[in-house]
Amino acid sequence: MDSRLTIAGRELAGLRAEKTILLAIGIQLFIATFSSFLVVGLVSMYDPGALDGAEIEVAAAGDAVDDLERAASEVPGASVTPYEDADAARSAFDRNAADAVVVTTRTESGRVSAAVTAPDSTVETTVIVVQLRELLRTYELNERDARASYLEESPLPLPDRSDTSPYFTFTYTVLIPLLVFLPVFISGSLIVDSITEELDQGTMELLRVAPVTLAEIVDGKAAAAIGIAPGQALLWLLLLEANGTSVANVGPILALMTALTTLVVAVAVGIAAVAPDRQAAQLLYSVAVLVLFGGATAMAGGPANAVARLAIDSAGATTGVLVVAYAGIAAAAYLGVRRVVAVEGFGR
Amino acid sequence: MIDGFRRVGRRLAVGVRRVLRVARWESARASGGVDRRTLAAGVALLLVAGGVVGVGVATGVAGLDVDQDVYRVGVDAESPYSEAIEDAPSLRPVAAGTASLGDSADAVVVTVVEPGSGADGSIDAADVEEVVVRASDTRKGEAAAASVREAVESHNERLMRAEPNRTAAFPVVVTLRYVGRTTPLDGGATLGGSDGGTGGSGGQSAGGTDATDSDGDGSGTDADDTGADESSATDSNGDADADGPSGDERTSGGSDETDGDGSATDAPDTTDDGAGSDDDGGFAVPSIGGAAFGADTVGSPGSITPPFPFTSLLLAFAFLVPMNFLIQAYGSSILDERTNRRGEPLLVTPLSPAEIVAGKTLPYAAAAAVVTSLIALLVGGGALSVVAVAPVAATFLGATFVGAMFARSFKELTFVTVGVSVLLTTYAFVPAIFTNVTPVALVSPLTLVVFDLQGEAVSAGEVLFSTAPMAVGAALLFGLGLGVYREEDMFSQKPVTRKFLDALAVRLSAVPVGGGRGVAIPGRKRLRALGSVAFLTACTIPFVFVAELLAVAVLFALPVTVSIPVLLVTIAFIEEVAKSIGLYAGFERGVFERTDRVALAVGLASGTGFFLAEKATAVVQAVGLTELFLGRAAFADVSGFSGLPPIALAALFFAPLVLHVAATSAASVGASRGRTAYALALTLATLGHAAYNVGVVSLG
Repeated sequence: MDSRLTIAGRELAGLRAEKTILLAIGIQLFIATFSSFLVVGLVSMYDPGALDGAEIEVAAAGDAVDDLERAASEVPGASVTPYEDADAARSAFDRNAADAVVVTTRTESGRVSAAVTAPDSTVETTVIVVQLRELLRTYELNERDARASYLEESPLPLPDRSDTSPYFTFTYTVLIPLLVFLPVFISGSLIVDSITEELDQGTMELLRVAPVTLAEIVDGKAAAAIGIAPGQALLWLLLLEANGTSVANVGPILALMTALTTLVVAVAVGIAAVAPDRQAAQLLYSVAVLVLFGGATAMAGGPANAVARLAIDSAGATTGVLVVAYAGIAAAAYLGVRRVVAVEGFGR
Repeated sequence: MIDGFRRVGRRLAVGVRRVLRVARWESARASGGVDRRTLAAGVALLLVAGGVVGVGVATGVAGLDVDQDVYRVGVDAESPYSEAIEDAPSLRPVAAGTASLGDSADAVVVTVVEPGSGADGSIDAADVEEVVVRASDTRKGEAAAASVREAVESHNERLMRAEPNRTAAFPVVVTLRYVGRTTPLDGGATLGGSDGGTGGSGGQSAGGTDATDSDGDGSGTDADDTGADESSATDSNGDADADGPSGDERTSGGSDETDGDGSATDAPDTTDDGAGSDDDGGFAVPSIGGAAFGADTVGSPGSITPPFPFTSLLLAFAFLVPMNFLIQAYGSSILDERTNRRGEPLLVTPLSPAEIVAGKTLPYAAAAAVVTSLIALLVGGGALSVVAVAPVAATFLGATFVGAMFARSFKELTFVTVGVSVLLTTYAFVPAIFTNVTPVALVSPLTLVVFDLQGEAVSAGEVLFSTAPMAVGAALLFGLGLGVYREEDMFSQKPVTRKFLDALAVRLSAVPVGGGRGVAIPGRKRLRALGSVAFLTACTIPFVFVAELLAVAVLFALPVTVSIPVLLVTIAFIEEVAKSIGLYAGFERGVFERTDRVALAVGLASGTGFFLAEKATAVVQAVGLTELFLGRAAFADVSGFSGLPPIALAALFFAPLVLHVAATSAASVGASRGRTAYALALTLATLGHAAYNVGVVSLG
């Protein structure tokens, strides 16, 4: 046991000396800040409510204009002014008196045709179009109601609107899984480098003549790599907590991410043992991790979704089973790789 | 004269031959490094994963629903709403009877039915008089309630799509056009053409398929709109060809974020009710330039998508992905030279370090060019895409080269590589998101790619503005790394900071002092030494620019009262460091004598160099960056001088020069006295600079 701790300690000392772990945390912080910036930026483009009291002025004309006005009264953020004809509405648009023009005409087929004109290439266009869509969807609902007797299945009544922040779901389903899994990839990459470097520089031979077994070497290196992961994840979760985002089930989340780290480290050790050099090992590792996580995320109940459910406190019994299953797979994979390496050695 | 040319030509030919020889050797080595077995293993892994995911997607087991089942909603099994809840991926139904709000459910759907109905247990949708969603009083509850509303909306949309009576199901047909306000309009054309709704509406926006319907709309759009619109009209034309019968379908590709029922776009096609096949088409064929400005859309109100170049952005991102793999191999190759002194034999050959590095880089640059061209062919980009990606690729390689020259071990290199990837990817990608919103987006060459994919015209000036800074940055990075491509730095285990100082100090030369009698040594040597200081500082400008942009971007989310002061100090700090770090390197490496005279002289030179370079980059004004409030704070001293008397104008123009020289001289004197004094002097200089910035902002 002692020799394993010594090896783990040596690994950590190396990381500390190179201050790489600080760089790693810096990179993670950068990713987190930027993805948040991205979402804040995008949402303020998309959610007119985020811009204070954005209200658009629609110039309307045509023979179905009354119904459009009725729809506008139900939609916050859009008001409709009727004009005599399309030309009058268009000239109001041209002299900036209106943000958009809607010309509604009843057609012979019984439909309403709405010709919408929105301004081109301005910052507000997105906001205007979002509000117009809201207005026209309400209009469509009203028109559909009026024709309900012709429908075979009547549509369900909608519940009232509720105020919600669009980043709420993003924080839990994207940001938290991202922050929790970044340390996992970093740990795996670390151990690939650590082993290939020892092999490359010949120091692995020196380690072999010391009174430690290969299994102990693997254990020590893996312990260092796995050990630094949950701390980083915890740091992020605490930071989010301080920012007012409460994260539930911190214990299970850390357990899940430690299990995944173990799995990734096992894969990394296996790859480092068989790959001919560092370049090939890192390439294979990147591809393998991409495949592993891409595949797992695409499956129902993948690790990203499991973390999201745990963090948002919607976890059921299945999520608990999933955590245990991941832990089991990780342990089996690690023990398997360790055994193979202990028997076969690092093959080069 | 001719002899001189011939000599230069011959030397050039020799250089090229040497570079090519190294390149050949490097590519042979690299392809040996990643052997066939590794490559086969990688490809096999990818194939297996692709197969599994593909089968999963095809059978409906898999889906990239990261938000699956995140909200629990109480709903009775016989309620008509239970189907809507079950169909929404983010909602998990729980039995309403047992659900307790806030504990096992986040929201509960309560239906009020008409009296007398529902006696037999099941409730018909028509009998529902009112529906109320009771949600727990938390942010999660609110989000859950909003998701329920969305789920019901998309459920209704699905119901309506199955309706045989299309007119009643989708009573409103919307034709959306984007028009510039200055353009005179032909009002009759739009009105005349909008009586469609019978099959023709699909091809309307394409403008090429209007043989089948009699709308004056499609042709009207082409006639009175601007050039940009025309080109995107052709774009959507090609799109319609790829997608099949309905030209408006491309909106379904780009609308998955904002509206849950993007596939409702085929609704107005009365003749075509193959909803299933349309869904597939919209998914499989990436619609290039979908929902761009100027691209008209026709469909039901639900199909309207705000102008956002979602698909083009996604495709532009595809250009960046291979870079990450490329720099891994490149970084490994450079670091390999440095471990176990492997690169020493190459250094003792008559090859110059620049030739070695050029040769080693060439295969990777060529690979980047080939991959970029292939991607451009695949996603439908033109030569502009390749031109725009070239400086990005060069910067990726340049930054990795510097990282590999500075790193002490593979572990360190890994982090450097990841750092380079993340930084450059965000720097290239984030501005491109705002492609259609603000001209600042052009700071990233990727914006050009998005424009290219949308089929919009780009002027030569824009291309230059977008690509030149990054190309210069890449060249400077290679220059920095080349400075330490020598024996004493390559094979030693120095910390990154010391190597960085080495790389800077290499570019400096000693400043001769005039013997202490107050007589300055005139002459070229002194001028050249000071000139090199000024040049080194001027070279930091692109990096200062990038760092300031990043600072603006990161602080963007904070409230203005916090972000402006922090930003002013941060920017002052960045500029002061940029001006004085080279001087510190010079003193530390013993290039400069540690005297106050030398310190003041180099401080003066560095401040002047920075001032001149900053004035040269006054182009930021031209792109309208100064319109943003934060932008004004960051780049205040290049704008806002109009309307002042000439003397004040001149004073204002030269005020930054005085500031830069004074601050840098102070920092320089500190740098000449060692590390602690440098830190103190740098703090002082930063505070002084920040105070000046505050003055300028409040003045403006």
